Amino acid sequence: MVRILSSLVLLAGFANSVYASDEIPGSQPKTPIAITHAVIHPVTSGVIEDATLVFDKGKITAVGKEVAIPPNAVVIDAKGQHLYPGMIEAHSQIGLTEVASLRPSHDFRETGEFNPNVSAHVAVNPDSELIPVTRLTGVLAALSAPSGPRIAGNGSLIVMDGWTYEDMTVSPSAVMVVNLPVSSPSDNKERKDAAKKELEELEEFIEKSRRYPELRKSDANWPYDIRLEAMQDFVNGKQPMLVEADTMQEIESAVAFSNKHKLKMILLGGSDAAMCADLLKKFNIPVILSSVHRLPAHRHDAYDAAYTLPARLKELGVTFCISGSAREETWNARNLPYHAATAVGFGLSQEDALASVTLWPAQILGVADRMGSLEVGKDATLFLSTGNPMETATQVSKAYILGKPVDLQSKQTRLYQKYQSKYEQLQGR
Amino acid sequence: MTNAAPPVSQHTEGLREPKDQLIALTGLTIVVKPGTQIENGTILIRNHKIEAIGADVTVPAGAETIDLKGKTAYPGLIDGFTSTAVELSEAASAQGYWNNNIKSQLKVVDGLKAEEDVNSALRSQGVVARLVAPSTGVIRGVSAVIQTGETPVEEAILNPMVMMHGRLTVDRRGGSRDSYPNSPMGAVALARQAMYDAQWYQQVWKAYQENTKLAIPERNLALEALRPVVNGRMPLMLETQNELFAFRADLFAKEFGVKLMLLGSGNEYRRLDEIAQLKCPIVVPVSFPEAPNVSTPELASVVTLESLMHWDHAPENPGRLSKAGVTIMLTSNGLKDRKSFLKQLKLAVERGLNEDKALEALTVTPAAIYGVETELGTLEAGKLASFVVTDGKLFAKKTKIVETWTGGARHEFENKPSEEIAGVWSMKIDGPADSGTKELLLELKGDEKLAAKIRPADKTDAEAVITLKSVEDVSGILTGQFESKTLGSEGTTRLSLVINRAEPAQSLGTIVWPNGDLRRVELSPSTTEFMPKKETEKKEGEEKPEAEQEKKPDDEKKPEDEKPKEDAKPDGEKADEGKKDGDKKKDDDKPSIPSSYPVNYPLGEYGVESPLKPAAVTAFTNATIWTSGPEGIIPNGTLIIDQGKVLAVGANVKIPAGAVVVDLKGKNVTAGLIDCHSHIATDGGVNESAQAITAEVRVGDFIDCDDIDIYRQLAGGVTTSNILHGSANPIGGQNQVIKFRWGLNDSQMKFAQAPQGIKCALGENVKQSNWGERFSSRYPQTRMGVEQIVADEFEAAKSYAREWAQWNQSKKGLPPRRDLELDAIVEILEKKRWIHCHSYRQDEIIAFLRVLERNGVTIGSLQHILEGYKVAEVIKAHGATASCFSDWWAYKMEVVDSIPYDGAMMHQQGIIVSFNSDDAELARRLNQEAAKAVKYGGVSPEEALKFVTLNPAKQLRIDQYVGSLEPGKHADFIVWSGDPLSNFSRVEQSWIEGTKYFDLQTDAAMRKTSGDQRQALIQKILSGGTKMRGAGEDDGDPSAYWPRHDEFCHHSHDHDDHDHGGHSH
Repeated sequence: MVRILSSLVLLAGFANSVYASDEIPGSQPKTPIAITHAVIHPVTSGVIEDATLVFDKGKITAVGKEVAIPPNAVVIDAKGQHLYPGMIEAHSQIGLTEVASLRPSHDFRETGEFNPNVSAHVAVNPDSELIPVTRLTGVLAALSAPSGPRIAGNGSLIVMDGWTYEDMTVSPSAVMVVNLPVSSPSDNKERKDAAKKELEELEEFIEKSRRYPELRKSDANWPYDIRLEAMQDFVNGKQPMLVEADTMQEIESAVAFSNKHKLKMILLGGSDAAMCADLLKKFNIPVILSSVHRLPAHRHDAYDAAYTLPARLKELGVTFCISGSAREETWNARNLPYHAATAVGFGLSQEDALASVTLWPAQILGVADRMGSLEVGKDATLFLSTGNPMETATQVSKAYILGKPVDLQSKQTRLYQKYQSKYEQLQGR
Repeated sequence: MTNAAPPVSQHTEGLREPKDQLIALTGLTIVVKPGTQIENGTILIRNHKIEAIGADVTVPAGAETIDLKGKTAYPGLIDGFTSTAVELSEAASAQGYWNNNIKSQLKVVDGLKAEEDVNSALRSQGVVARLVAPSTGVIRGVSAVIQTGETPVEEAILNPMVMMHGRLTVDRRGGSRDSYPNSPMGAVALARQAMYDAQWYQQVWKAYQENTKLAIPERNLALEALRPVVNGRMPLMLETQNELFAFRADLFAKEFGVKLMLLGSGNEYRRLDEIAQLKCPIVVPVSFPEAPNVSTPELASVVTLESLMHWDHAPENPGRLSKAGVTIMLTSNGLKDRKSFLKQLKLAVERGLNEDKALEALTVTPAAIYGVETELGTLEAGKLASFVVTDGKLFAKKTKIVETWTGGARHEFENKPSEEIAGVWSMKIDGPADSGTKELLLELKGDEKLAAKIRPADKTDAEAVITLKSVEDVSGILTGQFESKTLGSEGTTRLSLVINRAEPAQSLGTIVWPNGDLRRVELSPSTTEFMPKKETEKKEGEEKPEAEQEKKPDDEKKPEDEKPKEDAKPDGEKADEGKKDGDKKKDDDKPSIPSSYPVNYPLGEYGVESPLKPAAVTAFTNATIWTSGPEGIIPNGTLIIDQGKVLAVGANVKIPAGAVVVDLKGKNVTAGLIDCHSHIATDGGVNESAQAITAEVRVGDFIDCDDIDIYRQLAGGVTTSNILHGSANPIGGQNQVIKFRWGLNDSQMKFAQAPQGIKCALGENVKQSNWGERFSSRYPQTRMGVEQIVADEFEAAKSYAREWAQWNQSKKGLPPRRDLELDAIVEILEKKRWIHCHSYRQDEIIAFLRVLERNGVTIGSLQHILEGYKVAEVIKAHGATASCFSDWWAYKMEVVDSIPYDGAMMHQQGIIVSFNSDDAELARRLNQEAAKAVKYGGVSPEEALKFVTLNPAKQLRIDQYVGSLEPGKHADFIVWSGDPLSNFSRVEQSWIEGTKYFDLQTDAAMRKTSGDQRQALIQKILSGGTKMRGAGEDDGDPSAYWPRHDEFCHHSHDHDDHDHGGHSH
């Protein structure tokens, strides 16, 4: 039933804009919008059937069953539809890459070893064709992160609509992306020595960053250093570092490094996170679990080791969210909800699965005051769908980002329409 | 006289120097051959041969007599395989095969070097002769048997032409991307072509000799040299990388009627019965693996049960092969140190190899097979005086080799002087300077390598001990050096001792202090213990003084207090040297514990204990059955299977009496999923990328039935998979459709009824767009060229077919040469082989289809086909099918216009569409992929499921057997926890032809068993004080190094800090 409905909705959607054009960023509505009769999934509390959500000037102003609708509000009757907060892909390169094999379209990897001063948000291309494609499944925000050794730069939390990167940026310096040179147990001595040296250089850089402000204070002629300037929030523990680690050894080393230098840490990856649960809990280290759709790391692992990992982490009390990034490249960041879905098939509750792609990434990335749930005062970044968005057949019927309506077309839907016309022409002939 | 010195052709300059010798070895126990023994016998040696042997041999007057009372003589051992790199001469190379991996004209004797290091190591192990084979290429040349004595090479040769050697693989990236072959599949294709060429070469020359008016055929030394091989006169020994290579070698040999020998991998025990059935002699290695390193939790966490079990079973491999009736020989090949050969042989005997069989495998068998039985193999008059003398039973742990004789030359190993002088000595030395005389204790140890330590007689602490450096025992004078700072003179002091072995008390020596002072040393045996017991024990746990570092901490030490072996590799090597004395004895005394668990299939985790069996007549009731057939979706339906086939399916079917009834209330049942594009389960390299056309290459030659991805995909509902060649070539290799019959062997996995196919590819990958700057000259570099090279190949195939047709009719002229590449193209033209073509852009799709149409060919399937939606009418009109990704795009330029509506749109235009994986992970969720046809384009759920069941079956032309649940079709089906198109559903059971290959309960049980066995074997290693391999060292199965994805399709991962699980597009 859901599926039949979905195709009807889709066709209805196309009828609105038969003539394909580049998606136009939404403009801020002049009046409040009230979505009524929806099944509302606030995430922070239980599902509310037949309920209303009101938002105005980009912020949610009311949610609930008994809500007074402002007289000037535009009312959208969403009977039979579900309302969710926008999903957040906690790790991607949205806006920083267009065609994976084409270097000219890449802006995620700066040269050099230490780039704490660069930030993803200034290079996010608002006209990337990947953005409209991604938001069609309800993924409305993402961490866009640089990569590379050893300090890659600032990862930025962006929303998926706007005329400029400034319109889109929610948190420019959400994380500092750090790649720890960790050797694996199976590395040979040469590799281990190299990793040790690289690590020492990183530690030196951190120490240098700590000394820098004092030197600048005590010596007026001490030179300005753009890299060290950019390190301050990070070394002072205000900005978390995002460290990718999968094996037991990598995770243990990363935690040890973080503790040694009194840094705030977010773990990305986490294949063996369940084996390190005590450690992660003890030091309050959240995990961006990437990905559910992943092969077991070892031959002896259970076939469903990655599928059951979210449920196991939940059971063990480790703070985590789900990302698709180890599986999906940026061009398929849209598949995030299906990672959460598989976790449900393998033991995670529906509620936790939803939180793992909405509220929990918002909390881990420090933007939960603005997004991740449907609560009064939060940004109106949300979407309506024909059903559970974790099921593939479900369609997103409407979406708003920061209160602005989202054009639910994409290059792909436009090509779909274009070539449907071709076959219509051929049939007519 | 029969055993006179051999006549030589050499001119003698000056006086003659007769080297005649007559030697009698008396008092020996003589093992004439396995199982036959003479007590108190004599061996009479004249020159290099045995003149007489037995209990009643009369020793001629004047013969040199050596009394070996109490010792035992065995026939000299033959090492069944060694190899050496020999280059082809320029002349031989010029008249050789077009590809220098075929070196059949090479004879190892032509380039043989003395290799005294190898020979002396082997002599110390009782080896008197060895097979030596050339070591490079695919077909490598002819081996020889040589003696291990110190004679010049030309005198050492016993048989210069033993057999042809080769292997059906190449080293991983041994050459480069442009050097053919660069994959195992390519290697076997090349070898196969060379064999056909050798057959043709004979025919073509025969034809010419019968009618010299014909054109003169080419002269080719390589093909000439293969003549005895293809005629079955000269055996071919193929090296095997693992047990599956034995089957591959067997199929290869059978194709050409070749007499096959195998160089074993040591893995034969894993498919013992099947290997025994090959009835093929195997040269078995004794290079058993060291235990996996489990010394830290982190290291242990990555160790597989497979590698643990391999360590546990491997020493039993020779014994099991022998018991299974296989003719075996044994080899030192693969050992890091050839001087451990006998030790490893003893281990094989301890672990089940019968002693007589072991001796047979080292003497009689290789002598016969290698054509040297008139010289070697047994101890009989007239044979070479090549034998080994021991102080006990050859394979008993404590037995030492006393001497080895090679062709009448004696090599002694026991009772070396150093052994006599071992012990503790008291030295009274003068100095340094005028400090007077002091007593030092000297401890001498070791047999092959001397070790010496000194300490002042009045000091027993460890710090006072000084290790002597450069200790040597030359001509009865023992020399060494030591740092004498603690004795009051800083610098290096030299010591030389003349030991009177008859009267030890009269020994003397000199010492030279650092300042040059030369003083006298009085030497006498001492009864004092060098290090009193208590002190020694205390020392075990301590950090050793620097000078003693070559002595490794005792291996028996408990691992708990062992630090992680960070750099275990160099340490490990040192350990071997350091263990020469006391430690070694301890090691040898330790009994080797038999393997703990039976072999399963495949070995290790999730292997089955014995082949799974089909179920009896069974009715599955009350399920929602998605038949993908005419019955549609049956709510509350019944499926009945019998003898591997579907007997009935429907809402109201009669359950046969006696049928097992399985209630599947609440469950869904579908046909087994079919993946139309996969690269798992092959260790053939996936891509033979060195040529633009590689139609001769066959994925089916390298099905890896042990790939764990098979099990993982069964757990995702896949039962049939199309294993395709990669996309590096406009016309690539031949594909292989397999069924995931987990536990069975490579041949048994093949889908027997599936028609043959071949991979083609278009666009960026074949024109090398993303290969790197260097790859800019191979034809084609444009889509224009891609179209042309395919067109040209079809023309070549047509004229080739014409040539054959004419010859078959007339049998006149020179017979045409069989070309495996063109054979495959002709099969396409004859509609016996289906093309599966990697394609993206609409222009290339049309261009390729038009080339096929001009040649009367209908394509099997278009793969990827992400712009198929743009030209659906062309695809439909051609009769092509489309197997695509559900939603991939933007990974390279040619897919920027890909849309997820592609599948639905083509489906709606009447094309048979499937969704495939091309990825080991994605294949586990093909049901979720099918749901995307519902989302993007509104295909009905029933039709969407067919994208991964019936439609791929149609594309592979196997739909009369699989793809839907209909009476008479294979009982390949999946039980799902819920709606198969729901992302929340999971697979509960997977069945193939009535056999259940996966279910959740069995999986849970296997996890427990595998986990328990892993822990137990880790404990076995730790508690046994077993030597572990260094971190970073693996089992060394080279087949594991080959990719299991299409690396040329793999777009560049600039964010290299991510593991994308090997996407390949």
